[in-house]
Amino acid sequence: MSTADSGRSRPSIDRRTLLATGAAGLATMALPRRARAQGRVEISFASASFFGNETFGDLVNSFNESQDRVLVRWLELPPPSSSTEVYQGLVQQLARRNGTPDVFSQDVIWIAGFAAAGWALPLDEFISDTSGYFEGTLAACKWDGKLTALPWFMDTGMLYYRQDLLDKAGAQVPQTWAEMAALGKAAQDAGDAEFGYLWQGKQAEVLVCDAVEAIASNNGAILAEDGRSSRIAEPEAVAAIQFLHDSIGSISPRDVLSWDEEPSRQPFTAGRAMFLRNWSYVWPIAQDPKVSEVVGKIGAGPLPHFDGGRSASCLGGYQLGMNANTKNRDAAWEFMSWVSAPEQQKRVALNFGLGPSRPALFDDAELNEKQPFMATLRPVFTGATARPVTPEYAKVTLALQSGISKALVSGEVEAEMATLSQELDRIVG
Amino acid sequence: MAVPRRAWPWLLLLPTGIALGAVAFWPIFEGLRLSLTNTSLITQSSDFVGLENYAGLRSDARFWNAWWHTIWFTFASTLLETLIGLGMALVLYERFPLRGIVRAAMLVPWAMPTVVTSKMFGWLFDGQNGVVNWVLLNLGLIGEKVNWYGDPDTAMTTIIIADVWKTAPFMALLLLTGLQTIPTSLTEAARMDGARGWTVFWHIRLPLLMPTLLIAGLFRALDAFRVFDLVYVLTGGGPADSTETLSTLAYKELFSTLEFGYGSTITTAMFLTEAALAAILCLWLVRQIRRVT
Repeated sequence: MSTADSGRSRPSIDRRTLLATGAAGLATMALPRRARAQGRVEISFASASFFGNETFGDLVNSFNESQDRVLVRWLELPPPSSSTEVYQGLVQQLARRNGTPDVFSQDVIWIAGFAAAGWALPLDEFISDTSGYFEGTLAACKWDGKLTALPWFMDTGMLYYRQDLLDKAGAQVPQTWAEMAALGKAAQDAGDAEFGYLWQGKQAEVLVCDAVEAIASNNGAILAEDGRSSRIAEPEAVAAIQFLHDSIGSISPRDVLSWDEEPSRQPFTAGRAMFLRNWSYVWPIAQDPKVSEVVGKIGAGPLPHFDGGRSASCLGGYQLGMNANTKNRDAAWEFMSWVSAPEQQKRVALNFGLGPSRPALFDDAELNEKQPFMATLRPVFTGATARPVTPEYAKVTLALQSGISKALVSGEVEAEMATLSQELDRIVG
Repeated sequence: MAVPRRAWPWLLLLPTGIALGAVAFWPIFEGLRLSLTNTSLITQSSDFVGLENYAGLRSDARFWNAWWHTIWFTFASTLLETLIGLGMALVLYERFPLRGIVRAAMLVPWAMPTVVTSKMFGWLFDGQNGVVNWVLLNLGLIGEKVNWYGDPDTAMTTIIIADVWKTAPFMALLLLTGLQTIPTSLTEAARMDGARGWTVFWHIRLPLLMPTLLIAGLFRALDAFRVFDLVYVLTGGGPADSTETLSTLAYKELFSTLEFGYGSTITTAMFLTEAALAAILCLWLVRQIRRVT
């Protein structure tokens, strides 16, 4: 008790002391972990909450138990399906510049924005050898030549195909878009499949992914290397969008114009289509006899490309970032490098079904046994292509969604791409 | 302490005033203030820029595109809901067996959360498996499946249909209460003079119902102007921006790009348009009511 209190004629235990001891007692009871926190550096980790056989909270607990220097507190953000809310939550916290959260996970499309705002610390001083990660993922983790995010887990677009129909046609998995279109058309005409090729043309983020894949597989790009000018009106990009447009009504139903991932997945798993472009989540659904007509009949692999191009798959997934205002850089790095290490990436792959960003893991025997599909994704992930890397991504994507949707609907691809290109130049220039 | 007699009413109004000020006026003024700045959560800028945002808005094709869509949606849905609601109210006013149950059941669409309605209409009008296509195909009214939400010519119409289905019952309820206030003596007297159904409706019920009709229409129009959930769930503004409304555009600007300054300019423009709409309708309403009474 303080001397000031005992100077007054009050009962020996005053209210303040009672409250203080009571609160301390409650704290020890409710939070046994706090007691062990003494002498440990406390940091926080904010992440969208993915679900699997465990949560990221379990992952954080394992880290806390694995050593006695750093104690990580998990700040749970909404699930990735509410990515706009996750984004807002992160921006609001990072904009305060008070060092909380020390470590965060971020969708690949936010990396440039967070780096340009000065919220994400360049990590080059902590890591010199990044050869263990996929190159495409590293490219998406860089801003202005500096590595501002550490690769964690990823997902990309890929081609699902009906092996049984390919066998029937005596054909190989198509390597080019033209081959795929011909096979799809033939299967449609022969009545083997109602639709040749299903993709996502809804005016939404996924349309940008489909467009990135088509454009990059024709050696084109949406933005120039430095992210400061548009390349979408160049012939390579125009031809790619033209291909998407021409598929509608021939090998794809008009419905793709209003479809995002799930509506396009359903006809495929119902056995009505030959090819589908989608993410890795489709595989377990397609192999579930309760909801799928194509169990054991399908395969997945890299998307086709144009003549003279290379297969490209749009990169998604969450990567790790360090708050530039953190007061505990070393502790933050210790946690980041732990969670991105091979053992933890394997655990995330096994328990959450999220693809590792380290190619070597795809040779892992246990992963091959328990997640055989994921093990086949190595060639797909190798072609991982980032969406435009620019701090103005939020504006760029809205312009792209609107412009590409207009081109697909009107068919005036060249004119719409020219307009869109001016708009992009205005945004990023 | 003795409170002067004249201060009492003001004192009693104070809590309401504070509550209204906090939830209604302050956000409006704050939105107005933000619309004159370049506030952005991303660039962390927050400088006064005068009318620059409004100048940008004037030449922003996306804004005018969304503005016209919103006006069209408001006009079409309000008109249809008023007409259909009136028809429903006239039927429900008559005596028939199980009228109570029908009146209650009629409100189900309105009581449903709009997101549920949206999902439901998403399935009804689905291009591949939708029951609407199935019925129309079997009736021979269309030659092939229509992709209702993927075609700029039909997407907005489909959203209007969904809104009419949801809100016409609400209009019917409002108009039914209006019908019940019309003294039966008037209609009875007209009938004794030999007036038939149509004449009674046209010369007695409709003129007396007019104030209710206009007020209900006003409410509906102001509500329809803010349409968000149907568009957000069904089309996200596409295809080719053909269903973008002011609410969805403002949402994208405010919460996707985090441009609070320019986003607030859009919402302020929306507020001004809605205020103008309300003023015009109110003036008309007052004139109509004066004519009747």
